[in-house]
Amino acid sequence: MRNLFILLSLVGMAMAKGDIFAYPRAYWENSVSVWFWVSVAIYIIVAVPSIYFMIKYRYKPGENEEGAHIEGNTAIEIVWTVIPTIIVLFLGTYSFANFVKQRNAPEGALELKVTAFMWGWEIEYPNGKKVYSFFNQVSDPEKNVYLMPDKIDDSVKAYIPMGKPIKVYCTSRDVIHSFFVHEARVTEDCVPGRITKLWFQFNKPGEYWVFCREYCGTWHSRMASVLKVVPEEEFNKWLGGQQAQQPAPAEQPAQPVQQ
Amino acid sequence: MAVAHVPSSGTWYGATLKEWIFTTDHKKIGMLYFITSLIFFIVAGLFGLIIRFEQSAPGIQLPGLFGQEGTDLYNYVLTGHGAVMLLWWAVNVWMGGFANFLVPLMIGARDVAFPRLNAFSYWSFFGASLLVLLTLIPGNWIKMLWTGYAPYSMNDNAGPTSLYVLIVLLYSISSTGGSVNMITTIVSMRAKGITWTKLNLFVHAIMAASLIQLFGVPSLMGSVILLFTDKYLGTNFYNPMLGGDPLLYQHLLWFYSHPVVYVMILPAFGVFSEVISTMARKPIFGYISMALAIYAIAFVGFETWVHHMFVSGVPDWLRVLFSYTTLFVGVPTGIKIFNWVATLHKASIRYNTPMLFTFGGILMFLIGGLTGIPNAMVSIDLGISDSLFIVGHFHYVLGMALTFGAFSGIYYWYPKVTGRMYSEGLGKLSFWLMLIGANIMFFFQMYIGMAEGMPRRYPDYPPIPEWIQLMQIQTVGALIMTVAILLSLINWIKSLKGPKAEENPWKSPSLEWSMTTTPVGPNNFKKFPVEVPEDWHPYAYFKGYHAHV
Repeated sequence: MRNLFILLSLVGMAMAKGDIFAYPRAYWENSVSVWFWVSVAIYIIVAVPSIYFMIKYRYKPGENEEGAHIEGNTAIEIVWTVIPTIIVLFLGTYSFANFVKQRNAPEGALELKVTAFMWGWEIEYPNGKKVYSFFNQVSDPEKNVYLMPDKIDDSVKAYIPMGKPIKVYCTSRDVIHSFFVHEARVTEDCVPGRITKLWFQFNKPGEYWVFCREYCGTWHSRMASVLKVVPEEEFNKWLGGQQAQQPAPAEQPAQPVQQ
Repeated sequence: MAVAHVPSSGTWYGATLKEWIFTTDHKKIGMLYFITSLIFFIVAGLFGLIIRFEQSAPGIQLPGLFGQEGTDLYNYVLTGHGAVMLLWWAVNVWMGGFANFLVPLMIGARDVAFPRLNAFSYWSFFGASLLVLLTLIPGNWIKMLWTGYAPYSMNDNAGPTSLYVLIVLLYSISSTGGSVNMITTIVSMRAKGITWTKLNLFVHAIMAASLIQLFGVPSLMGSVILLFTDKYLGTNFYNPMLGGDPLLYQHLLWFYSHPVVYVMILPAFGVFSEVISTMARKPIFGYISMALAIYAIAFVGFETWVHHMFVSGVPDWLRVLFSYTTLFVGVPTGIKIFNWVATLHKASIRYNTPMLFTFGGILMFLIGGLTGIPNAMVSIDLGISDSLFIVGHFHYVLGMALTFGAFSGIYYWYPKVTGRMYSEGLGKLSFWLMLIGANIMFFFQMYIGMAEGMPRRYPDYPPIPEWIQLMQIQTVGALIMTVAILLSLINWIKSLKGPKAEENPWKSPSLEWSMTTTPVGPNNFKKFPVEVPEDWHPYAYFKGYHAHV
């Protein structure tokens, strides 16, 4: 029963519409649903005749000792070369259109500098405030198991304003990592010596995982961080609270990283 | 040629231990390759079970040993599972085992073009195998995964870089020798009358796969040699602190390591074509387009490597370009699938174990192919790159389509190689269990990656109830699969004492069936040189065909 539920939810996921919960997940879901239904259609078109032939043309002694002498059919072979080509071009172009939106952050995004290291994240805000999360801060030190976000200390969490696009510039201090904003379904590798970018936006408050998605050794699987999405006023309060101890913004202007 | 002293009667395998070790006979070398591949397939399979054990619950199940964490053991096991399954099983069961044994028999040749080079290739591979066994020693654990991404692979956390480089180099030497041999053999040693349009599709597949190996392997060798000089000799190809670029490694690696997936899957396609035509008693539908599709896949396969790097920081235009090229692989692949289905139309299908594995392999490859599309569509890939979806997808292709193809081939040629018949009941039981187990395992692996977004290479994960359940379902599938594989292994061993096989049990006009004794004699053919009538074709299955049987 549960398996059936999972299957249905996969279909449901592909059809999900309504309030947009996160970007660029919405664009990603567009592409997923197109792929999903095209694939289901192709699977049916191939599997149904296969199974029909498998049953109908099974060997029946005395009736069909040998198969028919058919070596091919040029016309039909051209058809099933041309149609897949068209489907492929359609899928590629549909994906291209969504990709452009997934990659380019809207104007006025909050810019964060992320530095990955073995094993943890440093997230820096435009005013210089930094949040660190180390692999041993997302787990229970005694039982050596992951904690759920509600059990993780708030000082480890990076606050994110709700409903505002966030642009991330990422790099790494040692090996390649990948900044994966789990519920926003977007990831980009953090490469030493390079600055890569991605953007996301959450429209619902909550606590969302960031995982490392490029293999980086012993604690790769614990290289997580938590984004705490809060209304903008609360975010500003949190950001400003730290600011008091920092030099005034006028003396040390925020430097957006440029490549 | 080096076969002059071989007696003309008897079986191909009748020889002393010394003759087996110093052999240059393609059949014995093929069998040495095959047994090595199979042993490593079992080892890597057990590694896979350790992965399932670790992932069945959140937290770290594996013990910390010898001053290393449980996650380090997991990383080693993951590296071993990947590297051995890909290079020992997926590549060399075909390029070493099947190709060596079958290609000369299918084209009417006495041996491969360079028998001593062939022996050298095997013993290089054997050397690489021994080095792989050395990694079982805890101090030698390689934990950089089979891809060995720089700069992580130069980090001490990743294990001994030199050992990894040496293993890859020996594998490369062996692969280059093997591919040169196969290309030369197929081009220049076909018997009179066997033209390019009368070659078995399996031979076309080996030809295309060998071309990929020949053009691709140098890039792999280059990538690891630069890795070696970076780590030990102070060069800076990959070190960004001193002007290098880690992405160079990925380009060099994937320039070979993407095309190599076609080295793995094309021979499986070859087996599907052999078996489906024979068991459906019908010529393969659209032989010419089937053969051209093989070469088209091999060619397009070299233009798609950047899809492994869609989130690696390469420019956006490059991602879009490679998104299209990758999608185009679907066109020739589609032709192959449609032609197999069309071959069944008005056929007379015999349902035996090889045919079941072929059907299963084709239908599972269809799922593997369709779930490959999201990896090519760059828009979807941004969300699923390095998730378990990818892992599930390539296990549909390699763990199922390829392994079903290999099992199908083993059952199909079992009577020819051993002279005995396998047990049909046990084979069918093995097939159904494997189909069920593998689908449970890999479907939910894809599901957890796509719907839940779970990253790959994670021994540990947050205790999200859905994740735990989905992981445990996969473990059930893996256990069913284990039983299925064991049943087949038992079948192959037990049947060595099974009933004697007929000379041509499948009534096939293909040369390896129709012109040799069962089991194959030391000199391959009953008559040499091999002569075929003008209207001969390996897939000439129809009423009144010239049965040279």
